[in-house]
Amino acid sequence: MRKTLQIALRDYKAAVKTKGFIIGLVLAPIFMGGGFLGILLLKDQVDTTDKKISVIDHTGVIAQELIVAAEERNAAEVYDKTSEEKIKPAYLIELVVPDTSQLKAQRLDLSNKIRSNQLYAFLEIGPAVIHPEQNSEAAYINYHSEKSALDDLRRWIVWPINNQLRRLRLADAGIAESQVKDLFHWVSVEGMGLVSQDVETGKVEDARKSNEAEAVAIPIVMLFMMFLMMMMGAVPLLTAVMEEKSMRIAEVILGSVRPFQFMMGKVLSGVGISLTGSAIYILAGIYVISQMGLGEFIPYHIIPWFFIFMLLNIFMFGSILAGLGATCNDAKDAQSLSFPAMLPMLLPMFILFPVLKEPLSAFSTWLSLFPPFTPMLMILRQSTPGGVPDWQPWLGLFGVVTFTVLAVWVGGRIFRVGILMQGQPPKLANIVRWAIKG
Amino acid sequence: MNSVELENVTKTFRDVVAVNDLSLNVPQGCVYGFIGPNGSGKTTTLRMIMNIFYPDNGLIRVFGEKLHGACTDRIGYMPEERGLYKNMKVKEVLQFYGNLKNGKNIAKEIDYWLKKFDLHPWASKKIETLSKGMSQKVQFIATIISRPELVILDEPFTGLDPVNADIIKDAVLDLQKQGTTIIFSTHDMNMAEKMCDFIFMIFNGKKVLDGTLENIQDKYSSDTLRIRCDDGSAIFSELQGVEKINNFGHMHELRLSKNSDPQKVLAEIISKTRIQSFEIAKPSLHNIFVRIVRPEGKEDNDA
Repeated sequence: MRKTLQIALRDYKAAVKTKGFIIGLVLAPIFMGGGFLGILLLKDQVDTTDKKISVIDHTGVIAQELIVAAEERNAAEVYDKTSEEKIKPAYLIELVVPDTSQLKAQRLDLSNKIRSNQLYAFLEIGPAVIHPEQNSEAAYINYHSEKSALDDLRRWIVWPINNQLRRLRLADAGIAESQVKDLFHWVSVEGMGLVSQDVETGKVEDARKSNEAEAVAIPIVMLFMMFLMMMMGAVPLLTAVMEEKSMRIAEVILGSVRPFQFMMGKVLSGVGISLTGSAIYILAGIYVISQMGLGEFIPYHIIPWFFIFMLLNIFMFGSILAGLGATCNDAKDAQSLSFPAMLPMLLPMFILFPVLKEPLSAFSTWLSLFPPFTPMLMILRQSTPGGVPDWQPWLGLFGVVTFTVLAVWVGGRIFRVGILMQGQPPKLANIVRWAIKG
Repeated sequence: MNSVELENVTKTFRDVVAVNDLSLNVPQGCVYGFIGPNGSGKTTTLRMIMNIFYPDNGLIRVFGEKLHGACTDRIGYMPEERGLYKNMKVKEVLQFYGNLKNGKNIAKEIDYWLKKFDLHPWASKKIETLSKGMSQKVQFIATIISRPELVILDEPFTGLDPVNADIIKDAVLDLQKQGTTIIFSTHDMNMAEKMCDFIFMIFNGKKVLDGTLENIQDKYSSDTLRIRCDDGSAIFSELQGVEKINNFGHMHELRLSKNSDPQKVLAEIISKTRIQSFEIAKPSLHNIFVRIVRPEGKEDNDA
């Protein structure tokens, strides 16, 4: 153990004393936080060029209202009230008389106008939209543009059209609009937490309004921090071991320690680096959030779990990555192995949003109990406002501990053979053979 | 007492038998030279003694104990390929290796050896700033910094200039005087002849020589005639009883065939030219090495 710690200490000092580590420690959250900040800032960056849209209205009674609604919107929203700066595009709607004999040609003509930038989009309102049940096939509203799937104008146009349809249907039913003014009043659903009771006083506490930061930001920050720690503590082991092998340092070290001690020394250094990084981030995060008066959102109950899962994750992936590093002869070998080796760390990032949206679904639960994903996904789920049932982190922990023991064993066997094997490429067959036969 | 004992040790890498049924005893306090052509099994044998490779069959004892698991702190090992952390300072590297071996008074030892090897001005310099010779000396110091009882050096003189080679040689002999057992592999037959108490030669994984230089040479009898004469090599080609001629320019080395009489050969040479000097000698280690490694037919063709 003493020798393992000496190797770990040497590697740890070599890593944290470098300027790269300190710069990385500062820059990583800036880049990651900057990415989110960029999204927040850029979401309001819209193209303010006016958008001209032609409407083929087969009903003859909707487009006029659309023009009125667009004019009202343009007057109210296009210019900033105080700075008078243009902040949104104006929607300019023009009517096109339907050419029922040559409708296809008319549509093609309008499409070509869009292609040549004379027009932004065209809308075709089917003749039966007011009473769709009479002729459902003719009850269509088609919006044509070059990017209709992601289009603010299309999203806006839904409301004036549907409001007008309601008016027309009321009129057909002989009901005056003034009688049911509330028909056009939309009520949004407020997201609330659960009502609770104080154990000591018995007082029933009101439910707290759900906060987007709490629901999204905290789980994402926890997941990204786990990922960042893996990038700092586990992933570099692949190249570090490869370098020590190719520079022949490994054989010198093996003159003093057993291969397993050598590998565990490297993994422990990764653990140390991650602990340093995460401790700095968490302490700094708690301080900053508290200073901002948002201390109530800090998930203190998750932090111990974060450290437990992070340590196991570094041991689990670090051992495998160190083992794989020992099979590499040069940087090219290491490069070709790094992506497949990192895939189990990347997959939880890819499924972040489905899990965040439904943290208690069977999909989220089972994936978070799959040991290679558990540390990242369980922390993500635990950080969501509702949390997870108490037994799940413990079951996940059991799986991760078991899998980590297996990973260390397999990594150690691959490491022992690979570290002195020169000239053999890291083929899957070789790696599997070394893992099984040792 | 033997520092190292190998009993019928075999090591195979897939289809290749790297070491085949090898038995060897290395007495305590001696200098034992491992010789053999490239790929003959020297490094594999050394790695098995270090417990870096495990033998497939056979038994290895170090200091009388069956070698299992832990590499002992009582052995210093310098592999053939040198490996030092380039970003570390000389003193830090030596401290690290000394601590790994659980050495005592490492700081004092570092100062002693750096001064002895004229490296003390470089103590605070990074390894990457050192020349190859200096790095090799640092590597040597790292091997012996914990004062191990057994030192294993895999080709310690390779790539060194004569001055640095002498420094290492002297240090090795000093260690031996203090009771350290030294095993080293080398391709430098001259160095092996001069330094080693015992010489072991491995060829194609099998032991082909093992003993003192005298014992080895005795096996090959006095079949070598070294001669200086006025004429060149032309006169030797017609001699009876000569198996091989080595032309060294000013001197010729003739290997006599079995049962040929050196006196008769000399008499024949005298009849043809004037002899300046001659010596009836045992074959050198170099000569023995070549005889084992190169089949006779090939040797004759080359001659």
